[in-house]
Amino acid sequence: MNRIIDFVLVNRLLIAVVALVVFAGGYFSYKVLPIDAFPDVSPSLVQVFTVTEGLAPEEVEKYVTFPIETAMNGLPDLENVRSVSNFGLSVVNIYFKDGTDIYFARQIVNERLQEAREQVPEGFGDPQMGPISTGMGLILFYYLDDTTGKYSLEELRTIQDWIIKFQLQTVPGVTEVLGIGGFEKQFHVVVNPKALLRYDIAINDLVEILKKNNLNVGASFIEKDAEEFLVRSVGLATKIEDLENVVIKSEAGTPVYLNQVAEIEIGGAIRRGLQTRNGIEEVISGQVIKLFGTNSSKVISAVEKKMEEINKALPEGVNIVPYYEQKSLVEAAVSTVTNALLQGIVMVVIVLILFMGSIRPSFVVAVSIPFSVLFAFIGMQYFNISINLMSFGGLAIAIGMMVDGSIVLVENIDRLKRESPGDESLAVVISKASKEVLRPILFSIIIIITVFIPLFTLQGVEGKTFSPLAYTIVLAMLGSLIYALILAPVFSTLLMKRKLKTVEGTGNKSQKENIIIKYLLIIYTLIINYFVKNRIAAIVLSLIILASGAIIYPQLGSEFTPQLKEGTLVVKVSMAPSISLNESKRTTLLIEKRVNTVDEVEETVTRIGRGEVGAHTDPINSAEITVLLKPESEWRSGYTQTDIEDAIREKLKSFPGILVNFTQPIQMAVDELLEGVKAELAVKLFGDDLDLLKMNAEKIAGTLRNVRGAADIQIDQISGKPQLKITVDRHAIARYGLNLLDVQNVIKTAIGGETAGQIFEGIRRFDIFVRLAPEYRDNESIIKELIINTPAGMKVPLSQVAEFEELEGPRQITREQNQRFITIQCNVVGRDIGSFVNESQQKIEDEVNLPIGYFTTWGGQYKLQQEANKRFAIVVPITLLLVFFLLFSSFNSIKNTMLIFINIPLALVGGIVALWVSGQNLSVPSSVGFIALFGIALQNGMVLITYLNQLLLEGKSINEASVEGAKLRLRPVLMTALTTMLGLLPLLLAAGIGSEVQRPLATVVVGGLFTSTILTLIVLPALYKWFVPKSIEEKIK
Amino acid sequence: MNNKSKYIFVVIGIVIGAALMFAASALLNSGNTDYMHKKNDSGNKKPGIHSDENSVTLTNSEIEELGIQLETVGSVKLQMHTGLTGEIVPNPDKLAHLVPRFTGIVKSVHKAIGDRVEKDEVIAVIESNESLVTYDVKSSIKGVVLEMHMTPGELIGDEKHVVTVADLTTVWAELNVYQKDLNKIKVGQSALIYFDELDNAIKGSIFYLSPTLDKHTRTATARVRLNNFSGYWKPGMFIAAKVLTNFIDVEKAVKLNAIQNFENRKVVFVKDGKAFKPKQVTIGKTNTDYAEILSGLNIKQIYIAEGAFVIKSELLKESFGGGHAH
Repeated sequence: MNRIIDFVLVNRLLIAVVALVVFAGGYFSYKVLPIDAFPDVSPSLVQVFTVTEGLAPEEVEKYVTFPIETAMNGLPDLENVRSVSNFGLSVVNIYFKDGTDIYFARQIVNERLQEAREQVPEGFGDPQMGPISTGMGLILFYYLDDTTGKYSLEELRTIQDWIIKFQLQTVPGVTEVLGIGGFEKQFHVVVNPKALLRYDIAINDLVEILKKNNLNVGASFIEKDAEEFLVRSVGLATKIEDLENVVIKSEAGTPVYLNQVAEIEIGGAIRRGLQTRNGIEEVISGQVIKLFGTNSSKVISAVEKKMEEINKALPEGVNIVPYYEQKSLVEAAVSTVTNALLQGIVMVVIVLILFMGSIRPSFVVAVSIPFSVLFAFIGMQYFNISINLMSFGGLAIAIGMMVDGSIVLVENIDRLKRESPGDESLAVVISKASKEVLRPILFSIIIIITVFIPLFTLQGVEGKTFSPLAYTIVLAMLGSLIYALILAPVFSTLLMKRKLKTVEGTGNKSQKENIIIKYLLIIYTLIINYFVKNRIAAIVLSLIILASGAIIYPQLGSEFTPQLKEGTLVVKVSMAPSISLNESKRTTLLIEKRVNTVDEVEETVTRIGRGEVGAHTDPINSAEITVLLKPESEWRSGYTQTDIEDAIREKLKSFPGILVNFTQPIQMAVDELLEGVKAELAVKLFGDDLDLLKMNAEKIAGTLRNVRGAADIQIDQISGKPQLKITVDRHAIARYGLNLLDVQNVIKTAIGGETAGQIFEGIRRFDIFVRLAPEYRDNESIIKELIINTPAGMKVPLSQVAEFEELEGPRQITREQNQRFITIQCNVVGRDIGSFVNESQQKIEDEVNLPIGYFTTWGGQYKLQQEANKRFAIVVPITLLLVFFLLFSSFNSIKNTMLIFINIPLALVGGIVALWVSGQNLSVPSSVGFIALFGIALQNGMVLITYLNQLLLEGKSINEASVEGAKLRLRPVLMTALTTMLGLLPLLLAAGIGSEVQRPLATVVVGGLFTSTILTLIVLPALYKWFVPKSIEEKIK
Repeated sequence: MNNKSKYIFVVIGIVIGAALMFAASALLNSGNTDYMHKKNDSGNKKPGIHSDENSVTLTNSEIEELGIQLETVGSVKLQMHTGLTGEIVPNPDKLAHLVPRFTGIVKSVHKAIGDRVEKDEVIAVIESNESLVTYDVKSSIKGVVLEMHMTPGELIGDEKHVVTVADLTTVWAELNVYQKDLNKIKVGQSALIYFDELDNAIKGSIFYLSPTLDKHTRTATARVRLNNFSGYWKPGMFIAAKVLTNFIDVEKAVKLNAIQNFENRKVVFVKDGKAFKPKQVTIGKTNTDYAEILSGLNIKQIYIAEGAFVIKSELLKESFGGGHAH
């Protein structure tokens, strides 16, 4: 070990080069690292969307979802396949194991999709994979502002779809631009059924005729003399007149034109979503999705630049207005931690200067920070970790700890330098000083790294959230270890040289002792003498501290990860599932008006349902109101995002018929991708028949209700969408010689409409859509009058061959593991969840007779919790054992190791009290704080005990050694504790975006360090007597 | 090691053990109450409006904001009707198919298709093959020439009609009555006949209903006589008819939009003090605007005619909250 020191002191130039390489490499890594706001917690997921116009959930499931789902079975690394069949849309989510390469996953899904496509009947939609992105991919939303007011919703949508979207998609890093709102332009053939009767034409014939009259063909070429002429026949319709003059029939030589039976006009496609703004108007909007793994900030900047260019090309008065973008959030989040980082550095340097009393050694120590940080950057690039709130937060947390190693080293050098006889060369002093503290530094840093191991075993969302933090802390600590062991001694020889001479010049070395330290020492000497003499007092003191922790601990609340505030609110509104789009729009506009009355609200933009598929799959009864807030300076004083949330909630409280939930843009996007339920307990009932599922789910819920401890029982609502079910009577159609399809085609085309080719305007293409005029299809009684042409030339109204029934059908059909299921959610209050599950399972077995083929699975948060508990039950003891062995191998003494372990409980108490005082809860971040604390507390103890052992070996009595050692170690212990605490202070006080996650962590560490430092300085020396290692005891004797 | 230090070791052992337990539990507990927390976060599960089990209270300004319209249950004359299609045909009583009495050569023709003719006006002159004497073909009625199959010099037989004259001052609308409507359509009912907009309809009455159905179309024919002095109706025209089948005085009726499907029942939301409550109703006859209420409502009760959906949603709110599964 000591050889390392000798080696580096000899090869100083080489070491300097290494340092330069790390500095340069770190800077380079920093420049190329992607920057995100938060760690991406999206699962490894490939989504397959299939738009199937007009089909009800049952048919979507049968014809589309099922074939796709089954095709995905047995893929490598497959975790789960879940699907939702909605009206007109099938979504299959294919989850892969965490960490699966997304391109690999997409490739194998695509291969299977080929098979699935063959299984989906013709005309029932084409399955497509979602964008190559994640929940964090929705980086920018914009709407079109038409200041002239003269453009129709169709025209604006055409601008969006054919100008803006196309151009934005060329920006590098943009994978998809999805339009929503307004109407997609179509050429509507609005058919008058009476005219059809008059000319004896069926509506489906029109579709065929239109298709036959709208073509371009190529006919190869002809040779003319020595030249070739390409032959093409053009007959594509390009305008309304072309369609109007299509001949649909010839009656005794008189042509019947399309415009005699139908009006041809430009209209909007059927839509399942729209976008509104400020309770005033409908707007056309777009969402920019970035490619997986690209740098959000850079892509957004490029998109914004492109938008400026596009704006110039748009018609006068029409502008693209971005209303939400992630860049400012990214910047805010990064600047919160960057500020904390910089302020932390300043604090640390101040502490160093105060305690070291001079600039040069402080400088040697301070350089440890940039070195460790840059070293961490290199590691981040290696591990593909982006710069984000958590990874940067890890660095901010580690600032104080990064310097600890070099503080101990430089302090020791400084001290020895002062004590050394003048003839000793600086290199010798440094070598000696370094060798003295080498082992404790090495072990203490390794211990800190070790205690973070459990964090790497966190899974799912927490794992993805906190592993960047754990990574950067560990990387930075590694960096600081390298610095302390290799670079710090070298820098000391380079920088502290001249200093030594001046010290020699003044002669009296001990007088050079820093003033602060001097006064502190006076007080400390009194205290330490007392406690060393009255050891029981030290025990009592620690017991009091422990007891106070035991009292406060149960009073702490607990929560999951505190919410990351994104600075933009989303109000998620659910309306009755049977609602129509128009009513949904009317309701939403009213809600927007109410939200806008809150002072801090600048603007509201709402998406109802879905637009182009790719990002959202919501039904039309769901509206997501993006609430844009005014700059914080214009808020009522003391107002926070939570207060605004409450104000909005208050406004909407009295709005009937809606359910309101608050979320944030990124949070919402990520939540939508995550699988699973939020409740503690989720019973999934699998089975085939929706009615039976519903009935049995109610039975299960009823049984659960009678189990003690059950709360918030909720059954998934799978029904609620009204249907008009038309069942064709087979006997009746037989009488008229009709096929089922003849009747169904009429129903489909007349009511739902059918696409009959396209009209090309340049490269823009618009569907020709054939459908009855609204007044002939918009209510049940008129639908009954639809005329069916029979082969014999008879005309039969639909009601004569079909039964009509109004019923409530499924709103959507969810499937998992190739089967339909329904979820019964429940929380457990006031009892152990394990026994609750056992009792419920028993009761359900006794009371509910499930039909054959129906079964339940039991899961929910408790399951994840149990799994996590199991993992921790193994990982935590192993970690402790590792730490124990590390300590043991460092001291070679069980007694010493035990003594140092005493640090832990006292440190924890400080963390608990700090949380309690600041009114915070136990949470995942505070747990991370406890872990860090654990490591730091051990470190301090180690430094002290090492020195006490040394003094004993030098022949001092135990009491003497205890007092002397403690006094000498006051400075490094205080310094390491203070640098760590003050380094965290900015995080503790920060109020910017992302601070809410870092604060509990910082609180715990600062509070814990406070008690643990007291312990290290007072209780450890006092108790030392009983923990003197046997080997030393023997040696002294 | 003396006894004292042994004792202290035990104490320390306990303390460390406790600390480790605590450290582990602090780490684990943190995720525990996730759901409860989120639950509180969306603390508006219970509607904020004062609504108990089955009623919703709204203030006047909210009623206005939400566009809710109130009406009073009362008596209404319910006009029932059935929509039919058909075509305009000439009145057969006023249709003359003129047949020459003797075979012969057409000497001259005085009228063309579309010309008006008076009764007994000469239309053409034919020379008989037998007598070689000319005779006049005269119109038997006053009307318009619809068909003309003669040109001068042509040989015309006596078995086929050569001129059709129709009096179009009245025409018939022949309506196709589908089997399902047969029990509703009666002779004497009035019908609104139109070919484009209902606003341009004219009224006539059904004077005939065929006793048998057509073998091919399986429809019966109903006829309505129409005055046509203006010539607005042209035979061959495709028309629609709204037959006023029934005229019922109902004691209690509500606007059709007031009726909502609520928990598999038909309900109307009525005002009870300040609250709105669903009342299950049985519905009698309906037309496009009104529905007869057989039971469930009282006369003079105030009900929601427009906008009842909002109230219904509010009452169903608990049920549609869950299960927005992805």
